[in-house]
Amino acid sequence: MAYKPQFYPGTTTVGINRRKHMSGNLEKLRDIPEADVVAIMGHRAPGADYSSTHPPLKEMGEPDCPIRQIVAPTAGAAAGDRVRYSQWTDSMYFAPSTPYWRSYWGAINCKGCDPGTLSGRQIIEARERDIEIYTKQQYDSEMTDVALCSMRGCTVHGHSLRLEENGMQFDMLSRTEMGKDGNVYATKDQVGIPLDRKINLGKPMTEAEAKKRTTIFRADGLPMCGKAGARKYDEAVEALHHMWELRSKWGFRPE
Amino acid sequence: MAVKHTKKLFIKALNKKFGKDFDLAGQKVEYKRLGPEQNARKREFMEYAKKVEGKRGMTGYNPYVHAGGIPLGQRQLVPYKLSGTEYVVEGDDLHFVNNPAIQQMWDDVRRTIVVGLDMAHEVLQKRLGKEVTPETINNYLEILNHAMPGAAVVQEHMVETHPGLVDDCNVRIFTGDDALADEIDPQYLIDINKVFPAEQAESLKAAIGKTTWQAIHVPTIVVRSCDGGTTSRWSAMQLCMTFIDAYNMCAGEAAVADLAYAAKHAAVLQMSEMLPARRARGPNNPGGLSFGFLADMVQTSRTAAADPVKVSLNVVAAGAALYDQIWLGSYMSGGVGFTQYATAAYTNDVLDDFCYYGVDFAADKFKGFAKAPKTIDIAKELATEVNAYGMEQYESFPTLLEDHFGGSQRASVLAAASGITAAIATGHSQIGLAGWYLSMLLHKEGWGRLGFFGYDLQDQCGPTNVFSYQSDEGNPVELRGANYPNYAMNVGHQGEYAGISSAAHAGRMDAFACNPLIKVTFANPGMVFDWADVRACFGKGGAREFRAAGERSLVMPAV
Repeated sequence: MAYKPQFYPGTTTVGINRRKHMSGNLEKLRDIPEADVVAIMGHRAPGADYSSTHPPLKEMGEPDCPIRQIVAPTAGAAAGDRVRYSQWTDSMYFAPSTPYWRSYWGAINCKGCDPGTLSGRQIIEARERDIEIYTKQQYDSEMTDVALCSMRGCTVHGHSLRLEENGMQFDMLSRTEMGKDGNVYATKDQVGIPLDRKINLGKPMTEAEAKKRTTIFRADGLPMCGKAGARKYDEAVEALHHMWELRSKWGFRPE
Repeated sequence: MAVKHTKKLFIKALNKKFGKDFDLAGQKVEYKRLGPEQNARKREFMEYAKKVEGKRGMTGYNPYVHAGGIPLGQRQLVPYKLSGTEYVVEGDDLHFVNNPAIQQMWDDVRRTIVVGLDMAHEVLQKRLGKEVTPETINNYLEILNHAMPGAAVVQEHMVETHPGLVDDCNVRIFTGDDALADEIDPQYLIDINKVFPAEQAESLKAAIGKTTWQAIHVPTIVVRSCDGGTTSRWSAMQLCMTFIDAYNMCAGEAAVADLAYAAKHAAVLQMSEMLPARRARGPNNPGGLSFGFLADMVQTSRTAAADPVKVSLNVVAAGAALYDQIWLGSYMSGGVGFTQYATAAYTNDVLDDFCYYGVDFAADKFKGFAKAPKTIDIAKELATEVNAYGMEQYESFPTLLEDHFGGSQRASVLAAASGITAAIATGHSQIGLAGWYLSMLLHKEGWGRLGFFGYDLQDQCGPTNVFSYQSDEGNPVELRGANYPNYAMNVGHQGEYAGISSAAHAGRMDAFACNPLIKVTFANPGMVFDWADVRACFGKGGAREFRAAGERSLVMPAV
């Protein structure tokens, strides 16, 4: 029988959503044109050539190396692209993804990438043409809600702040805005440089839909530990207790 | 399962921050984007910068170059309430550059050295045949309190320091020998029987025994010009000169070398260890200060012994300012941002609320402090409960979440509350530390995020070192310090570890956590910083009510 990864414990919607993110088996909700994704990333003008940091691998005369023979390079690595990034900020008010689950998605599903996980932002770095693909996948899928999530290279705070009155995640640099037509528009790139045109990102999720797709445990959504005075631990907590205890005891090693 | 504590101590602070009638539970708000002008301190900075700019002839502080012209204040710039006090100050007032009390706290550590008297007395008696009596000791202490600030003895023509610049310098002695203590002039004595509660005094005297120690605090201005490594040298020179004067010795005889050796090495207790070469710091610098020593420096244990949470949280505050803001934030990283993270542990009564919740819960269940079994199961039960409570508060009060807007802040507070609870409940710091790491993992599991770069190395790998006693990774928490492997990187940890060290002993009602000499030395009434009420003293500093030592204004033209 072929091995089937379990990814994550629990039968709750949060557990199920976390498994979906990790497995990469995600629903596509929108189709943002590639040129628009490239413009928001802000690393190269849409249609421009890719900058490179070394010649294509085929021209480099690589050493005889068994690992190189086993692992096929990504398209970006093969071409010698520079390494660029996309960084996301996800609101704690039921954004579909969270920093760790973006990282797990990247680490499991995206070849040749380097995820970095912080509390208020999550970055993935990869060769430029590879990261463009990975970024579009994130933008288009249920990992992202265009009101509760946004790409922010700097000045990222917003994940823990109250939402704007229109339901948008706070952004000091106002990189996105809610249009009168109910669609969210990107007006600046990742680092806050104004775009030469507004990019329509589509309509945000309703609160109910965000709660359905979220990967965060919350007391006002799906609590992880039940309620004070009536604790009931999610299976994720029981698994974590087990792991923490074994780590602690391993460190003791009385022998 | 009983839930006793429902005080929500942080609500008062949130009302002060956001306004009395503000909806603290609302998840949506209109952001007014009022910029820096909304805040009195930022306005003061801008006005002063204009004056400075004229004088300097070049630009300086200008918040409008921030983020491409979008300045701070796109959301409300809120003040901070010092936990457990009524002080409300601006965030800027808690940066150590702007807060003389925080500076003095650190100055008080690095200007302190403890030197034994017994070894010197043996040299005087056995080698030189001198008589040592309470009278000669009192005479010696009078001369020493003249010499230690930088005045001459023995020499007939010598430069000296201005007494007005060095008035904070003093030397007192202490001993576990009540008979000797009775004979010492009270102005030169730290009287253990008077400054400590009776049970703590007995415990301290038993630990110190018949030995006698000098609590030496060299002038603040000296360590601000030099560094903590100077303290033992400065004090040793003045000690030797004083012995020569007080006991009529030959200034050049070889016996002086014995006194110097005792004063510099053999009978010396530095406040902190020298660091490895890559850190390039001598002794008496913050990186080598153990958590147990810091726990003993803070004196809340003798003034509020019945409230182990208060004891622990004053230690946390001292550590957050010293280890996070000064050591990691400035010595190590050279940045200015650490204050924002560190203050979460000692402002707005958040950590207080979470700790009192946990300790009430544990005391109710186990019938008192330090009564719970010292087991990993207790750490699991308490840390899970406290961490869940804390996360629920952040979820229920969006203004609270916004106040601790960084994951590092929340991680530190949740884990500290878990660790302090487990330590007070069991009276064991290692159980407290186990609770700390479980909280970190639970926090990450619940919200899918943790602290700076996930606190991956320090906290997600941390459980393996809790019970380890292998030489390069083990140690009781009390003996670990800022340079312990894996601890020398993240803000929001070291002060809290010191708090956990303190909590175990505060729960047990111990007189000291690690070293009785440190505990008594910092009970010296001549300290400039208020070591019994750390958070209030920070508040005084922020409110511009605190006068620090080591100032040079006496010898400079008026501004």
